[in-house]
Amino acid sequence: MKFTLHIWRQENARAKGHFETYEIDNISADCSFLEMLDQLNEKLINDHIAHPVCFDNDCREGICGMCGLYINGRPHGNDDGVTTCQLHMRHFNDGDEIWVEPWRAKAFPIIKDLVVDRTAFDKIIQAGGYISATTGGVPDANNILVPKHIADQAMDAAACIGCGACVAACKNASAMLFVGAKVSHLNLLPQGHPEAMDRVKKMVCKMDELGFGSCTNTYACEAECPKQIKRQNIARLNRQWIGQLFGRDRNE
Amino acid sequence: MNLPKIHSITKKLFVALVGSFLLLFLLFHMTANLFILRHDDGQWYSDFCHFMGTNWVVKIFEIVLLGVIALHILLTVWLAITNRLARPVRYHQASRSKTHPGSKLMMWTGVLIFACICIHFYDFYFVKVGVVKGEYMVKVENLSKLDAQAMEDEAVSDVLYRAFNEGNISEDGKWIRHINYEERTILKERAPESDPEPDFYYLTREKFSHLHIVIGYLVFFLILFFHLMHAFPSVFQTLGLNNYKYNPIIEALGKIYTWIIVLGFTAVPILVYLGL
Ligand code: SF4
Ligand code: FES
Repeated sequence: MKFTLHIWRQENARAKGHFETYEIDNISADCSFLEMLDQLNEKLINDHIAHPVCFDNDCREGICGMCGLYINGRPHGNDDGVTTCQLHMRHFNDGDEIWVEPWRAKAFPIIKDLVVDRTAFDKIIQAGGYISATTGGVPDANNILVPKHIADQAMDAAACIGCGACVAACKNASAMLFVGAKVSHLNLLPQGHPEAMDRVKKMVCKMDELGFGSCTNTYACEAECPKQIKRQNIARLNRQWIGQLFGRDRNE
Repeated sequence: MNLPKIHSITKKLFVALVGSFLLLFLLFHMTANLFILRHDDGQWYSDFCHFMGTNWVVKIFEIVLLGVIALHILLTVWLAITNRLARPVRYHQASRSKTHPGSKLMMWTGVLIFACICIHFYDFYFVKVGVVKGEYMVKVENLSKLDAQAMEDEAVSDVLYRAFNEGNISEDGKWIRHINYEERTILKERAPESDPEPDFYYLTREKFSHLHIVIGYLVFFLILFFHLMHAFPSVFQTLGLNNYKYNPIIEALGKIYTWIIVLGFTAVPILVYLGL
């Protein structure tokens, strides 16, 4: 397959970026998007055309959350429920023009080319996305009773890999889906209950402080999340925020 | 820009609370409008307007309503500004994520709705306040309250004479109708006890006899349709009342609510225009 790529190139956070156009040929349809970029980089290096294009990646199997590119107007490209590393070139047509941009948000400054700094997510987690007491090893089955539907919801929320596609997709660069997921997977479980209200407060305050936007219930995040985290987690976050405002110390 | 600090979710909670108040108000407003469809020479509608124009609870409610609309606008504009600041550099490619169309257009439908509300105020509220000329009516029973001086006033009796002469008395005998702005001014000044009030039944029916007004009205409700489609489920989501089980029910209720409002309101100009 053959493609025309328009890729965002930016030397560093302060430099002015621009789109650079590259042609690439002989790409297998079974190639992943990142493998296609690898081939482009090889070409750029071998033919002394330019510095290789920088992009984040690690596991290349959709579990680490490192990769993330805004491809033709969609975070992680035109497939549902996958990360960029799981996106295959068969989802494009031969001869397509592909626009590749980094995540754009005030809270995610660009480091270089397509690599953005997602430390903001770490800061939100550091603000309260943990349980401060050691919870020990894996408890015996049925030692701590958790209703099945609660366990399922907590597990679904815990699937969030912190990739930032929700922020990238949101027209307001809001991190509510991420924070909703992180709050939910802890607050739903007994181990998370004691600090639940505190956690909501601290994480939301941190999110605001870091310059993420406010949710306007557009649900672009839900549509683009590779782990298909649902809007109900945002509703839970709102609910627990209200609870926290009134000093309620109970969890759902 | 340094805006005062209120947490993002708290701000949104206010928008949702204020919005839900407006959703309820729309239902009430729609029900009242449907009275116009009765061919009763405005009996129900005029009585209703009289109640709304004179009751002090309604007067307080009016102020609350204006405050609520202002707060809704203020908060959403504030949110829109902070949201805009959250992405200083925009994407080159327009978003292709699958979302409800209404949600992305909220700000723009909101602006258009605000403009239409201003026109609505010009047409009705300002007539009521007396800034804009309209058509007026007087309660027949108020005539017995007139003092001797007013009764002998020639200008006042001219007005009343014309009304009786032309048979401008409502079918139920409660109202003297079709009093114009100049006559109203005479009555207000020389016989204040007659207490002329706007004749909204005929003002509205007159307005809806013009095709361009009817079309404008329908366009407005098309815009409102998109706004409400998003607004209704959004209130539940923001107030934290959404969950896996309720979500489909809330979405369905939102559609039902929006259709009821839009059909209820638009039925009035369409049926009046068609003379039904
Ligand atoms: S909620 Fe989804 S899109 Fe957002 S960071 Fe987590 S996995 Fe990525
Ligand atoms: S590289 Fe790990 S999720 Fe894509």
